Amino acid sequence: MNIRRHPLSAALSAVVIAFLWLPLVAVIIGSFDRNALLTTFTGATGHWYDQAVHDPNVRSGFETTLIIAVCSMLLSLVVALSGALWWRRAPRRARAIYDALVYARIVVPEVVFATALFFLFLKVHFALGIPAIIVGHAVLNSAYSTLIIQARLIGTDPALEEAAADLGATPWRVFRRVTLATLMPAIIAAGLLAFTFSLDDVVTSYFLQGTAQSPLPIVLLGMIRFRITPEINAVGVFVMVLTVALMSGAVGVLAGAGRVGRGNRSRRRSRLLGLYQG
Amino acid sequence: MTGEGPAVSLAAVTKRFGDLEAVRALDLEINRGEFFSIIGPSGCGKTTTLRMIAGFEQPTEGTIHVGGRDVTRVRPYRRSVNTVFQSYALFPHLDVWENIAFGLREARRPRDEIASRVADAIKLVRLEGREHARPNQLSGGQQQRVALARALVNQPDVLLLDEPLGALDLKLRAELQTQLKDLHRAVGVTFCYVTHDQGEAFSMSDRVAVMNNGVLEQVGAPEEIYRRPRTAFVADFVGAANRLQGRIREADGPGRYIAEIDGIGSRRVGGPDGLRVGTSVLIVVRPEELTVRAEGFRASVVDVAFLGAQRTVRLHSTSIGDLVATTPGAIDAPGRGSELFLDFDDGQAWAVPA
Repeated sequence: MNIRRHPLSAALSAVVIAFLWLPLVAVIIGSFDRNALLTTFTGATGHWYDQAVHDPNVRSGFETTLIIAVCSMLLSLVVALSGALWWRRAPRRARAIYDALVYARIVVPEVVFATALFFLFLKVHFALGIPAIIVGHAVLNSAYSTLIIQARLIGTDPALEEAAADLGATPWRVFRRVTLATLMPAIIAAGLLAFTFSLDDVVTSYFLQGTAQSPLPIVLLGMIRFRITPEINAVGVFVMVLTVALMSGAVGVLAGAGRVGRGNRSRRRSRLLGLYQG
Repeated sequence: MTGEGPAVSLAAVTKRFGDLEAVRALDLEINRGEFFSIIGPSGCGKTTTLRMIAGFEQPTEGTIHVGGRDVTRVRPYRRSVNTVFQSYALFPHLDVWENIAFGLREARRPRDEIASRVADAIKLVRLEGREHARPNQLSGGQQQRVALARALVNQPDVLLLDEPLGALDLKLRAELQTQLKDLHRAVGVTFCYVTHDQGEAFSMSDRVAVMNNGVLEQVGAPEEIYRRPRTAFVADFVGAANRLQGRIREADGPGRYIAEIDGIGSRRVGGPDGLRVGTSVLIVVRPEELTVRAEGFRASVVDVAFLGAQRTVRLHSTSIGDLVATTPGAIDAPGRGSELFLDFDDGQAWAVPA
C-alpha cells in the first residue's frame, strides 16, 4: 500500500491545513464583519480598521511594540555580530561552550527564561518596564541572529580580509569594506528575524513589563478577555500582514545572498532556510 | 623602489607555532626583477615564508627587508607587497572593476588616475568587457587574472603568488604559466612564487629555492638545482632519479671526485665541494643519462611506458636494484623481459651525502 496515495492521507493533510489556515481566514473575515458581536456575518465594512487605527489603547500599544522591536533588534545584532566575530577565532573549547549557550536560548522554553530574567532584574534592582523587555527580547532573539550570521561567516573565505589588508586597507577599513560588506545580507536577515520575533512576543514582555505601557500583543490579550470584537481581528490582520512582509523580506535577502561568496551555496542556503522550517 | 640591494632579504628568520618550528634559521635573498620560486612538499614552510614576507605572520626571530626597508614588524597594509592568493580571495560583493580598484582606493589616489590605471590593468590581463561582472560569474582562469590585476595595479615592489594555479586543470595551467612568464617580463616586478610543483617552478623561474621541514636546502637556477643538487632530498624532489649507493674514494679537483659505486665499480662523478674521502654518498643518475650501450652493466626490462616524445623504461639489475631510464619515443621499444646493457658517461653522475 502506498501511504502517500492513500485517500486517508489526503484527508488528513486537508484537516491539518484547515487547522493551520482556518483561524487566519476567520480573523480576516471577522475583521470586515458588520456584525459587532461576530455571531453571523452580516456584510462587509472597513469600519473596524478605522476604529482600530483611532483606538488610543491600540495606538500606544503599537508604539511601545515598535520601540521595543527596533531597540531589541539593534541590541540583538550587536550581540550576535560581535559574538560571531569572536567565535570565528576562538579556541575550540570556547566555541563549543558558546554554541551550547546559543542553542540553549533556542531550546529552553521561553517561560523559563522570562521567569529567570524577572528574578534577575529584581535582584540587581533593574526596573521592570520597556528597557527590561528590550533586554529580555535581545537575550532570546540574539540566538537566532547569531546562527544566521555564523552560517554566513563559515561560508566566507578568511583570505578575503587578508587580501584587503594586503591591498592597503587598515583594520577598520577591512572591517567596513570587507567583513561588514560580505556579512550584510546575513545582518539584514538576522535583524528582520529579531524584529519579527520581538513584534509578536507575549511571554517575555508579560513577565518584564512591570507597570509600563503594554506592547500590542498584551493589549490584544487584555481586549480579548473583556470582549471579542471585529476591531481585534482588524489589528490581528494588520500584524499578520506586517509579519509576513518582514519574513518574506528576510527569506528573500538570504536567498539572494546565496549567490555571492565562496563555499557550497546550496548547502548554506538550505541551512539558513532550515531555521524557518524547523 | 627606493634604495639598493635585493628586493627581499630574510636574515636568520625562524617561525614557531607553539612547539612546531615551521621555518628555521632561513637566510634568503630575492633579486630585483627576478622570477623567484620557493618549492617543497606541503608543510615544508614555503607558504609560511611567503606569509611572513606579506606580513600576515610575524617571524619569531630574524629580520625581513623589502626594498631595503626593515619590515619585520610592519603591518601588511603598510608594505609595498601584494599577494595573489591560492583561493584568489576576490571580493564577492564587488565587480571586477571595483576589485581591481580596491588598493588604489585605499591609497586615496585621484579618481581619474584610478580609472586609467584600472583600465590599463584590465587590458594587461585581457579582461576587457568583463569590468562589471561579479567574481562568481567568471571562470577559474578569469578569476585568476582578476587576482593578478588587482595586485599588479598597485605597482608593488614584490608580487607574492601562493600556488595561484593550484585550482586549475592541467591544460589551463600550462597556458597560464606561459602568460605569467610573459606578464613578468612585461611589468618588470619581482615575482615570488610558491608551489609544490617543481615542473611549474622550473619552467618559469630565474631562480628556485627548495625547502624541506622548515629548512632551506638549496637556492639556484633551475638547471643547477636539477644537475647539481646539494642534498639527497633536493635530488629526489626535483625529478626522477636513480640513486646508487657508494662512497668517495678520492678527490679529483674542485667538485670532482672518484667514487666507488656498489655493483658498478669506480667512476668519475661530480659533487658539492667538500666531500671527504670515505664519505658514504648517494650517486644520482638522471634517467635520461642512463642509456643503452654495447657494454656496461646488465639489467632486464620490467616495463616500458610510452609518453610520446620519449619512453620510460623500468629495469631491474641483480647487482644494483631497480633503475629507470628514458629512451627516445621514436626508436623501437625494448621488449619486456629482454636483457640489455646500460651505462652513463663519466662525470654525468652526481654525488650527494647519503
